[in-house]
Amino acid sequence: MSHVDDRVVVLGVAESDAHAVANRLIEFQLRELGFAVVNLGVCTPLADFADAVAAHPQARAVVIGSVNGHAVADLRDLPALRGAGRLPCPVVVGGNLTIDPADRPEAKRQLLALGVDHVLDDLTELAPLLLAPPDGAQVPDEVVRA
Amino acid sequence: MPDDTLLRLAPRVGASLPSWREVVAYLRDSGRPTAIDVLRSARATGRPVLQPRCGVGGHEEMLALLRHLDTAAAPGMLSVTIDSHTRLGHFVTAARELRTDPGRLNGYPLVAHGWARGRELTESVRVPLEVRHGSPDARELFASALAAGISSFEGGGIGYNLPYSKDVPLAESLSAWQRVDAVTAALAAEGVVLERELFGTLTAVLVPPSVSLACTLLEAVLATEQGVRSVSIAYPQGGEIHQDVAALRAITLLCERYLPQDTEVFPVLHVFMGVFPRDRAAADALVFHGALTGRLGGATKVITKTRDEAWGIPSAEANALGLITSAVATSPLLDFIRLDEARIAEETAWILTEVAELVEPLLAARDRVAAVCAAFASGALDVPFSASRNARAAVLPARDPGGAIRYLSPGGLPFSASTLRRNRELLADRAGRGDVTDVTGVVADINHFADAIPVRTPEVSQR
Ligand code: B12
Repeated sequence: MSHVDDRVVVLGVAESDAHAVANRLIEFQLRELGFAVVNLGVCTPLADFADAVAAHPQARAVVIGSVNGHAVADLRDLPALRGAGRLPCPVVVGGNLTIDPADRPEAKRQLLALGVDHVLDDLTELAPLLLAPPDGAQVPDEVVRA
Repeated sequence: MPDDTLLRLAPRVGASLPSWREVVAYLRDSGRPTAIDVLRSARATGRPVLQPRCGVGGHEEMLALLRHLDTAAAPGMLSVTIDSHTRLGHFVTAARELRTDPGRLNGYPLVAHGWARGRELTESVRVPLEVRHGSPDARELFASALAAGISSFEGGGIGYNLPYSKDVPLAESLSAWQRVDAVTAALAAEGVVLERELFGTLTAVLVPPSVSLACTLLEAVLATEQGVRSVSIAYPQGGEIHQDVAALRAITLLCERYLPQDTEVFPVLHVFMGVFPRDRAAADALVFHGALTGRLGGATKVITKTRDEAWGIPSAEANALGLITSAVATSPLLDFIRLDEARIAEETAWILTEVAELVEPLLAARDRVAAVCAAFASGALDVPFSASRNARAAVLPARDPGGAIRYLSPGGLPFSASTLRRNRELLADRAGRGDVTDVTGVVADINHFADAIPVRTPEVSQR
């Protein structure tokens, strides 16, 4: 069993998005699984995620929800932050990503191109992904359909 | 707008707007019906005005959407639903998205488009428009809306803060909305009565009626302190029809009790605002049920929903269909329906009691804004699932066996022993589970309608 400190997850909702319910439920779910959740809540700019990771360098992942259709616009600064050496840990994104559901595959491609590590299709994929061993270890294919 | 002194806008913003005289003249003398005209005549007929939410990023696309809805579904009013960036005051981001790909915006960025294009919206349809948004500080958006000739503006310092932002202090949002209300009163003195709709939907998921009504009532009291004499109080359909009809009827009674005598009040129903069924036939049925609830509860206006709700921003066709479904539900065809009046009377009495227990200590305060801020800080006012840190979110609602929304845990709400006892008795089946971490129970209640009907047809998948 890894030490509790290894199980920190930084959680939040994308910058323009105020939907709070899924965020609350994910927090409870991750706590149940034994994670220490740093929940930054709704309307969180990427820079705030980076600050939280700097304060918790052991964080296993940054988990960002976006349900208002603005996922791509809200994550546009990721390359700049990564370029500045911030947000070193894996970034996981999920939710209702686009205005038109038909655009979802394209949005997933754009998010991955921005440097998002995992774009999940369903909330049930989150726990297995986070519970998989850290540090680049193999994650089952059906879990990361990125 | 010289009266930007009332709004306290930055000089740069004031300078970009037409003069106050011009704004007043455009609103008053255009010959087009205003929102208040439409509401007053609907009240006389006893059939609610139907209004959809609608907003897309591009200007031409927005014009086309409004015209389609106006001609295909004959609504009483139409909306200009604003995108999330603009709501939060991120006008630069909204303008950038507008330049790069307007189709990626989840609403119409009115400030970025500018008031002149807003006038094109106003002039494109036969019915009045309302700006629907979710801005803790809406002053600049309000100025654009007025200059655009839009005669209805939604929001208030509580309902457009707690569900819509993370950390805007209530003192700030309440003071920004006092400015909006002061301008609303100044316009009325010029002969332009705006519709000011208060967003009782709050966080939309399992909002107990007395929480909703307490918040909108307090916003209405603060608006009347600024001189406003016409308010629309919106309440979100919870799903149990006796409770919902009782809550709608309570609006008039509460306003008679707590607002100045000369205040005009329009009860408004928001068709179910929580998690919708993905099955489109089930969604249609819920839209129908909601509109019917509004008519039976005496709502002057019903804000409609669509079969696309669970999926994404609705297509124009789906939105028109939502209006037509709602028109059937509010038509004389269903005037034969009678509800259990004794049950409604009992619910109404309890709602009035609960609201009184929440608001009376605050109304007694000399500085009511300060009292409201202190109450949210202490938990004496609260909303479930608050997006903002400035409410405790310690209140935990649950559905009773009939589907009505009750208090499983009141958090810090100052309810009397008899109120607490009644809620406990109604939730006897949930005994001992008054814990915020009872995720399974909460999720089942959240998905009350989404789970009611199993998906029968293979849906267009989002994947
Ligand atoms: C409740 C609600 C609201 C409430 C929110 C209150 C609050 N602060 O929380 C209110 C009324 C305030 C609201 C406002 C708005 N809303 Co809203 N809202 C909803 C509604 C009805 C339910 C959302 C909900 O709570 N669901 C329950 C939770 C548990 O699930 P969920 O959020 O849907 O998330 C699921 C998945 O997406 C996923 N998921 C979510 N986050 C994450 C994160 C990760 C990492 C993973 C793996 C998965 C995941 O798991 C969840 C369970 O399956 C939905 C429609 C619906 N579903 O019926 C619309 C909806 C999400 N809203 C929508 C929009 C656009 C808005 C607004 C922008 C207004 C507008 N323009 O229409 C504003 C928000 C302003 C802003 N700044 O963002 C759209 C989004 C459209 C899109 N993506 O294209 C929807 C789909 C409605 C619609 N059809 O137009 N809303």
